[in-house]
Amino acid sequence: MISIQLIFLIIFGLAAIWFGWRVFMTSSMVRSALSLLASMVAIGALFLVMEAEFLGVLQIMMMGTEMSIMAIFMMMYMMDPGGLGNMDMSHQKNISIAAGVIVTVLIIGAALATDWGTIATQFPGPHEQNRLLGMEILKRSMMIFETAGVTILTGMIASIAVALSIKKSMEK
Amino acid sequence: MTPFLSGFMITLLFVGGVYFVAVLERCSMTGNVSWSGPARSFLLLFAQEEIKTRKHDKVFFETAPVLFIGVILLTISILPFGRGSVIIDLGTGALFINAALVYIMVSLLMAGWAVNGVYAMVGGWRALAQLIAYSMPVVMALTATVMRAESMFLTDIVESQQSLWNILYQPVGFILFYISALAIAFLPPFDLPVAEGELAGGVWADLTGARKLLFRLGRLALVLTLSVAVVVLYLGGWMGPWLPGFVWTFLKTLLVAASFFAVGHFMPRIRHDHLLEYNWKYGVPLALYNIFQVGVVLLL
Repeated sequence: MISIQLIFLIIFGLAAIWFGWRVFMTSSMVRSALSLLASMVAIGALFLVMEAEFLGVLQIMMMGTEMSIMAIFMMMYMMDPGGLGNMDMSHQKNISIAAGVIVTVLIIGAALATDWGTIATQFPGPHEQNRLLGMEILKRSMMIFETAGVTILTGMIASIAVALSIKKSMEK
Repeated sequence: MTPFLSGFMITLLFVGGVYFVAVLERCSMTGNVSWSGPARSFLLLFAQEEIKTRKHDKVFFETAPVLFIGVILLTISILPFGRGSVIIDLGTGALFINAALVYIMVSLLMAGWAVNGVYAMVGGWRALAQLIAYSMPVVMALTATVMRAESMFLTDIVESQQSLWNILYQPVGFILFYISALAIAFLPPFDLPVAEGELAGGVWADLTGARKLLFRLGRLALVLTLSVAVVVLYLGGWMGPWLPGFVWTFLKTLLVAASFFAVGHFMPRIRHDHLLEYNWKYGVPLALYNIFQVGVVLLL
């Protein structure tokens, strides 16, 4: 049976794929970064349609900041203000097409071959989902998240330290 | 009061509130109270010729103002104006406020980049740095209010302030949220993305007519929305004696909005590097301290 939920799921799924494709078809890094953002927002909307409210809002929030930061970094490296440089976003085209086709076939194959079980009809409300997610993060998965968090923080501090130019006053 | 009538009243009060904020904004800039000023500005921009810069990015140029006002309207829809007077009562309401505010940054970045002009682009990148920096204390201050309410429902956060408003329970969080709200609405003294004096209007420098009107209207609605957020999170929301809940919400909101403009009126514009430095060096550690302090008080 086709429900409204399924229709929205298909619309947002197709939007995510279309914006993902646009990432490589634009001629500037800023357009590319914001196309990727639109694709990620569509994935966030998919979570919302599947009633995973926290994950959906979190995805939409995080990606907004991340993709904007990516856009400014791309600008810093590429210097293409206004996007007039007609950059080509694709490289090694034949290998990329082959890799894309193989991965797509594998993903579709895995999706079709997996036994997804029955569709859940009973699921906790948004408030309970938040609580359960909090319990998961602070109990069983705490070590994983803490390790990942500290690793990312170390990486950030290290990259800033490497990027800093040493002032004369700091030199011995 | 029936839901329809309360919805109508809230819409009317919000539109009136936006107009009042426009009057306050002019008053903070010129020092004179002009009740007809915003209406004249509205008509001027409404009838103004649409000038487009050469080689602008068509998609971003048209999308940015709509995205800007769209995310603000989305934020309004989740804020409770009274007990039961909320359009969408989200289970992740507190997080959603920050998620929506992020897209203000995205729309400013898009607008600044799309027009293909120097001032606008510098304004856009400034907006990015400023809004990323100040959304950190916002989300951390929100976390502390959520900790006390043990819920992300904004209605629950208001209810949690029954015994003591959050402004007294977590004053550090309030100060951080208040200052960050000023920065996120790029109001003076944080108006660097649209600085008139040094960037000739920044992000809005090359915009005219309807697009500028959408941005100006959106900013006024943003100021009012952030004021409502301050009221809901820290000033007890709709709580107050005698008057109906939504009247209290609006009275407190207008007071907060007026205080925003008063701060801007008396403070000089902060330098961009200082603005970022203050936040990353002092704002973020203070926000972490606030979470710690609220946690300790809750456990005691």
